[in-house]
Amino acid sequence: MVDNEEVLDFSKKKKKSKALNLDEILDKETDEKPETKDQAVEDTDELDLSSLKKKKKKKKTAFPLDGQVDSTSIKENGEHSPEKNGREDLPKKTKTVKIVLDEISDSKDPDTAGDLDDLGLGKKKKKKKAVIADDSEKLEEPASGNEIVERGVQSWSGTDRDYMYDELLARVFDIMRQKNPDIVSGEKKRFVMKPPQCARVGTKKTSFVNFTEICQMLHRQPKHTLAFILAELGTSGSVDGNNQLIIKGRFQQKQLESVLRRYIKEYVTCHTCRSPDTILERDVRLHFLRCRVCQSRCSVATIKSGFQAVTGKRARIRAKAMS
Amino acid sequence: MSDEVLNLQGYDPFADASKGNDVGSQGTVIHIRIQQRNGRKTLTTVQGISDDYDKKKIVRACKKEFACNGTVVDHSEYGEVLQLQGDQRTNIAEFLTNVGLAKKDQVKIHGF
Repeated sequence: MVDNEEVLDFSKKKKKSKALNLDEILDKETDEKPETKDQAVEDTDELDLSSLKKKKKKKKTAFPLDGQVDSTSIKENGEHSPEKNGREDLPKKTKTVKIVLDEISDSKDPDTAGDLDDLGLGKKKKKKKAVIADDSEKLEEPASGNEIVERGVQSWSGTDRDYMYDELLARVFDIMRQKNPDIVSGEKKRFVMKPPQCARVGTKKTSFVNFTEICQMLHRQPKHTLAFILAELGTSGSVDGNNQLIIKGRFQQKQLESVLRRYIKEYVTCHTCRSPDTILERDVRLHFLRCRVCQSRCSVATIKSGFQAVTGKRARIRAKAMS
Repeated sequence: MSDEVLNLQGYDPFADASKGNDVGSQGTVIHIRIQQRNGRKTLTTVQGISDDYDKKKIVRACKKEFACNGTVVDHSEYGEVLQLQGDQRTNIAEFLTNVGLAKKDQVKIHGF
């Protein structure tokens, strides 16, 4: 994942923290998936898919700490309620996972195996895996069935009644989520940008270090971006040999960032679909923004610096004009 | 012939468009800009206020309200431009909308 501190989302700043959190969570999920596959199987009989990840984490931390206590309690559970098949499956699997995780419980397992040898404890790893596979098959059936009923997708199938509005709504949202997995997180695809880096050059000038880099990211001519920034800040400046922009005047990073954000809003993102994948083309003195996603084409405002008041020394200006 | 087509009479869809904005007669966008001077001093310029208004009176009101100095500068291209000392961008934008000189979307604030 990209560094939180370094990356700023220019298009939507308010949602930044939330979005980043989401990203983190997603990342964690993807990280965890491969190593905790066995546990995921165990959790399927809890049916609550949204909270699955959290539970997984909790259990994982709990395992090495009180593995032995757990094993005894589970053993009791299994003895007291042997008539419930599903209940019996659950403790068994937690135990198998435990064996994989820590070796202290491994030594204890033969005892429990003695009590419940039909559960397949204390056997070699090959067998364990086979047991897990069997259980997953058993457990997935009821889980998926319940899920469908819960969502109301097929609750009217086989009956004669009319569809309820809520059911249809749930159905259409399910389809939407299936077709575009991007929406599931509730976030649109965000436009992530590097923040402008700025450094002071002497006391009166500011250097915008990664100016050309940002221009490349935005697919804009540096000339155009430069014109906008200078017009907006009401100063003068130029790009120097190191591809950095030297602006006259003192500017902080957040100030440059707000200007850059305004530039992106006006000249980079598509006005119709807000996608940043656009081309700026010049046509009969006017600039047109052409979107590569929705193919819309609209004109953008020309860059004008407008009225500039005299701020320097008038005598110096006069002397310049004379010479 | 035209009497038969009743639908085309009576309602002009562009009536309210030609009437212009009900807020004043501000046709163009008012640009509010900031310029850096020496040190941490700044200068705010207001460009594009309609000719119907007396800029000097506006400046007089602004000077009193924001407790700053200001002038009117005549420019060949941009007309009469207000200049106010200091960063008065938000102040002047608020002032213009409150007084009813311009709508909120007619005021454009530039600068950082």
